[in-house]
Amino acid sequence: MSPEKVLEVKDLVVEFRTDRGAVKAVNGVNFDVFKGKTVGIVGESGSGKSVTALAIMGLIPNPPGRVANGQILFGGKSLVTMAPSEMRKIRGNKIAMIFQEPMTSLNPVFTIGNQIEEVVELHQPHLSRSQRTAKAVDMLRLVGIPSPEKRVNEYPHQLSGGMRQRVMIAIALSCEPDILIADEPTTALDVTIQAQILELMKRLQKELGMGIILITHDLGVVAETCDTVAVMYCGQIVESADVNTLFNHPAHPYTKGLMDSIPSFDSTSGHKKERLQTIEGMVPSLFNLPNGCNFQDRCSKVTDACRGSQGDPVLKPSKGEGHYVACFNPLN
Amino acid sequence: MNLYSYIFRRLLYIIPVLLGVCLVIFVLFNLVAPDPAYTLLGKHATLKQIADLHHELGTDKPYLFQYLDTVKTAFTFNFGYSWTSKQNIWEMIKAGAGPSLAITGPLFVLSNIFAISLALLVAFYRGKLIDKVVLILSIAGMSIPSLAVVLFGQWFFAFKLGLFEISGYENGFPNFIPYVILPILLYVVISFGGDTRFYRTVILDEAYQDYVRTARSKGLSELRVMFKHVLKNSMIPILTQIIIQIPGLILGLLFAESFFSIPGLGAMTINAINNSDFPVIKAMTIMSAVGFIVFNVITDVLYTVVDPRMKLK
Repeated sequence: MSPEKVLEVKDLVVEFRTDRGAVKAVNGVNFDVFKGKTVGIVGESGSGKSVTALAIMGLIPNPPGRVANGQILFGGKSLVTMAPSEMRKIRGNKIAMIFQEPMTSLNPVFTIGNQIEEVVELHQPHLSRSQRTAKAVDMLRLVGIPSPEKRVNEYPHQLSGGMRQRVMIAIALSCEPDILIADEPTTALDVTIQAQILELMKRLQKELGMGIILITHDLGVVAETCDTVAVMYCGQIVESADVNTLFNHPAHPYTKGLMDSIPSFDSTSGHKKERLQTIEGMVPSLFNLPNGCNFQDRCSKVTDACRGSQGDPVLKPSKGEGHYVACFNPLN
Repeated sequence: MNLYSYIFRRLLYIIPVLLGVCLVIFVLFNLVAPDPAYTLLGKHATLKQIADLHHELGTDKPYLFQYLDTVKTAFTFNFGYSWTSKQNIWEMIKAGAGPSLAITGPLFVLSNIFAISLALLVAFYRGKLIDKVVLILSIAGMSIPSLAVVLFGQWFFAFKLGLFEISGYENGFPNFIPYVILPILLYVVISFGGDTRFYRTVILDEAYQDYVRTARSKGLSELRVMFKHVLKNSMIPILTQIIIQIPGLILGLLFAESFFSIPGLGAMTINAINNSDFPVIKAMTIMSAVGFIVFNVITDVLYTVVDPRMKLK
């Protein structure tokens, strides 16, 4: 029995108009989100991860940005063509998002209770004022904030970064969304807090059964939390697979490169002083993408096909079920 | 920190500030300005008349004595009598305050409401046509000299169309109304450009903060985002800008009152400067210094109301 599909992203293209012409920050992205499952989206800065998330939320700043092509289907309805007032009923209610910067993502001049109650008031107007307050306290308790009855009247500056991220999660989950988008939720936190927050998200996912889209550049986080992974490069998905397949048999040289760039503490290998491996070169400018594969200049296995003689690489099934890769010379 | 002890401590700053203000007015008046006796007596005065007048005004006393006299005036608010009209200065201030407030009061309310609403509107539609139109109008408003606006307004609205009185004043409500509408309208036009630009910048500073994105991600409407989340965070610079205008209201509009022959405090001050009427200038300067200090304290206290991160120290 396969789990219920809650979100479908099809051929998504997000374009930004700039003084130097239009750029496609996201160029033909496809993935699905299933109930109770976590999709990881991995990639370097500028690969289009966050723009994908904002497109799902309908929060692409327009102008200069717009969804130029593709579909985002939520429960059979298209979020791209939906009227703004309809979209506002879904945003924060059915699809919620938490952000990278817990220090600045909360409004400094309102109490955290007020900021949780605000979203409850908006999407569950039948609740009375005292029920809303009770809900805010419950949510704070749910995300593991000690003495929530007291904390509910405090301001963001009275909380630590980890606590603020918990409050953000409380806000996001207070209407029990079907999908939680977490855009680098732990990047700004130190490692112990990071583990706590990921643990919390996994626990709440089990309790509430929501699908999670986890955006990160940290493969360690992916390995710990995700069910499936999509690797993005220059606005495109270059490889997607379930998490075990991806880590055990990466097919795209870029994915392999990312994994080799993880520092290893393996002391038995005898390579203690070995330099950390990196991916040579730079991400190409979105204004000036090469013909063929966008990764060609940094790839060790580059051939004529990669340089455009056979067009652009497209996602094709690789070995193993549900494993797709966009590469002319995939590994293994 | 106790609010009252904070206010008390801050008000104590009035003492050193007033001592400094006294020193500055005293030095400027005695060492820079011409001898008031010549202004008061005209060019045909005899040496004897001048010496007598110096004695009468007390300007023949030693400088230290005169300075202490100024200080005493400042702390007792006993401003004495005008040198030119011989009137009690407190009475003059009371008489002038009415006409001044009849203009500055409505002007203050209207110009701020107008500028802040307009700023919210253009911040909301930033980059769109209305933003650009308001930008051009604001720059025009800031660039055209206020005198030109006043003269044009008097000529067009009062003289040509006969909608208002060109100048003058009548005491008592509602008699003064036809006289104050034109100056109020023209000064709203004169001040809206700079104010709107300022408020727009302040509001847009907040509009791109991360918490605004969070507010949108909750599904709030743009209006709620703007009026609840952005406006409250912009309140600190807005409050500062608004409250600092209040002591100026009491002092009147220096030049506008002369243009429109309004017998207010601004016109009184300009006259006093022209006539070297030292006691009147002294009174108005001291009043404005005290006004600025008091309203600064009020601003600081209000900061703690709008921003929970602020603590009084």
